[in-house]
Amino acid sequence: MDLDDTNLEDLNDSNDSEDYVHITPAEVLELMEETWVNEKFAPEILPNKTEVVDIILEQIKSMEVNIKNLSNDDFTKNIYQLEVDKLRFMVTSYLRTRLEKIESYVVHILKEEEKRVEKGESKYLSEQEYKFAQDYSRSMDRYFNKIMNFCPNLTSDTWSSKVIEPNNNSFVFMKSKKTIEGLPIDITNADSDLVDIKSGSRVIICYSSIEELVKNGDVNLI
Amino acid sequence: MPLSVSYTPNYYSLEDILATQERIPCRVAQTIPKMGHLNSSSVDVDLQEGTVMEFPLWLVNEVCVSRVPILNPDLPKIYKESYREILKADACAVDLHRLNLHFYELGSYVKKFDKKNDVHQSIIDTFRSRFRQLINLADNSISDPMVQQRLDTLERKLFNDAYKARVKLNIWLEHSATVIEAANMVVNHKKRKRINLEELL
Amino acid sequence: MFGEKGYNLIKELARSEDNLPPYNSDLVNEISHEITKQFEENRDDAQNSTIDGSESLLLNTIRIRNGASKRNIRCLMAYHYNRLKCLRTMRWEFGSILPPDIKANLSSDELEWFSNYSKTLVNYMKSIGEDGINLAVDLKPPKALYIEVQCLVDYGRFELSDGTMLLLKKNSRHYLPRSECEELIRQGVFKHIS
Repeated sequence: MDLDDTNLEDLNDSNDSEDYVHITPAEVLELMEETWVNEKFAPEILPNKTEVVDIILEQIKSMEVNIKNLSNDDFTKNIYQLEVDKLRFMVTSYLRTRLEKIESYVVHILKEEEKRVEKGESKYLSEQEYKFAQDYSRSMDRYFNKIMNFCPNLTSDTWSSKVIEPNNNSFVFMKSKKTIEGLPIDITNADSDLVDIKSGSRVIICYSSIEELVKNGDVNLI
Repeated sequence: MPLSVSYTPNYYSLEDILATQERIPCRVAQTIPKMGHLNSSSVDVDLQEGTVMEFPLWLVNEVCVSRVPILNPDLPKIYKESYREILKADACAVDLHRLNLHFYELGSYVKKFDKKNDVHQSIIDTFRSRFRQLINLADNSISDPMVQQRLDTLERKLFNDAYKARVKLNIWLEHSATVIEAANMVVNHKKRKRINLEELL
Repeated sequence: MFGEKGYNLIKELARSEDNLPPYNSDLVNEISHEITKQFEENRDDAQNSTIDGSESLLLNTIRIRNGASKRNIRCLMAYHYNRLKCLRTMRWEFGSILPPDIKANLSSDELEWFSNYSKTLVNYMKSIGEDGINLAVDLKPPKALYIEVQCLVDYGRFELSDGTMLLLKKNSRHYLPRSECEELIRQGVFKHIS
């Protein structure tokens, strides 16, 4: 997934780049790659990164415009096209992974979002994803109401009462971006052994132990 | 495309529903009126206290949790000491598939019927000693199909995942390219169509 | 024994990986019927068990029946839920139009759910970015711009995005931009030759 950042810069409209002065295309790309891989390997849905997605989508768009303007004989045209394809793959794969998590854990995710709103925290889902989740959950409700309406007394066993939750105790591979001291190996146990993790080291560990570190960007899943 | 999730049974898991259908030997602790028909070897209307018979695990789980259990479950024999000794001696030599399709999942349920609590450790030890063999099996493309047939459902799942990952790695190492394939369901759909056509001819 | 029908329903579904067996409305109805019956029997026994203390053994009966109907409900819910999961994957793999023989295996409620899901998904895809984004393509990381494909069916005319018209005949081979043929490969029209 290595992209030469000079290519991206060349293809960037100089007008567009004023909107994100502080971040270079190479940095956006790195951020997108991190975001994508984290989402792929985290059991639960992570806070959305709409800013990154939007920048990448804009970049794809402006690159495509520039590619169209290149002559068909220009052999670099194909190389630029391949880079656009790579970007698009990363973005769509990221969004697909999130949709699949939303569908699998929809009741759980919507409940958590509600709690976040009550506490005044920001939502994990993007606005569009939130709408998708609500539509999806409504269609499931409607379907199961029809299936189970043969017996009017089955009020306790509805589709939304049987919540499927992600298994945050599953194990993941991670790479640390900085030195972390005293990380509990088993976060559910108050007497758990603690480990120190050096910057750059890779370990396999229970996701729930590093959940917060993934979300604040101190470690990456790999 | 599917999410890579660790095996975590939930309310809707087909595997868990199949595993909880397994039968558990029980002693009826209190007479159950009108339920004599559950015992095919009796003509009684009621199911009498003291009757010894097998019940599906889901029913046992449902009625033996309260203070006054209706059924007293016993350990299925494959988790009893004599079998545990065999597994301890050489777990890799055992045909788990024949013992029970859902050896580990069933074991994790019935271990609570074991008052001495030895089953728990036995299951973990069994898994540990068989795991190396399982990964070896998946790594070697020319492996003995007979060994594969001796895996329980969970092991088979791990084997399939590991095997697929190995094949993918090999392709990547050799060609460093990914082939675009027809979607799984599309392929199966075509296969079935072919079979249907053959039936017609 | 209780729960046999539910078990059969689940076994039928679990046995067929990656394809959907015909919707078994007979068995679904029988199980629904069993649940209603168990519920009614329990209601009657509950009234009798409270009249005098000696009948309290009936509570055992009620508990057994209650366990059985819970199991039946679980089987019914899991059967329908896992079929929807499969339908969902079909939406991604076949697109919004299902082959007629697959459609024939679905209940009318399932068909309705499928078209709802399709709509929800399209609405979502349209709402991404300024012009929307198609998530059903770019499923594999791109390695090369052009790939060689073999046509598996007589497909007919096919227009490339630059306006070039191709005639796709069975067994013909083409060297095409990857982005143009990915969907046709997924649908089994082309085979990617590596």
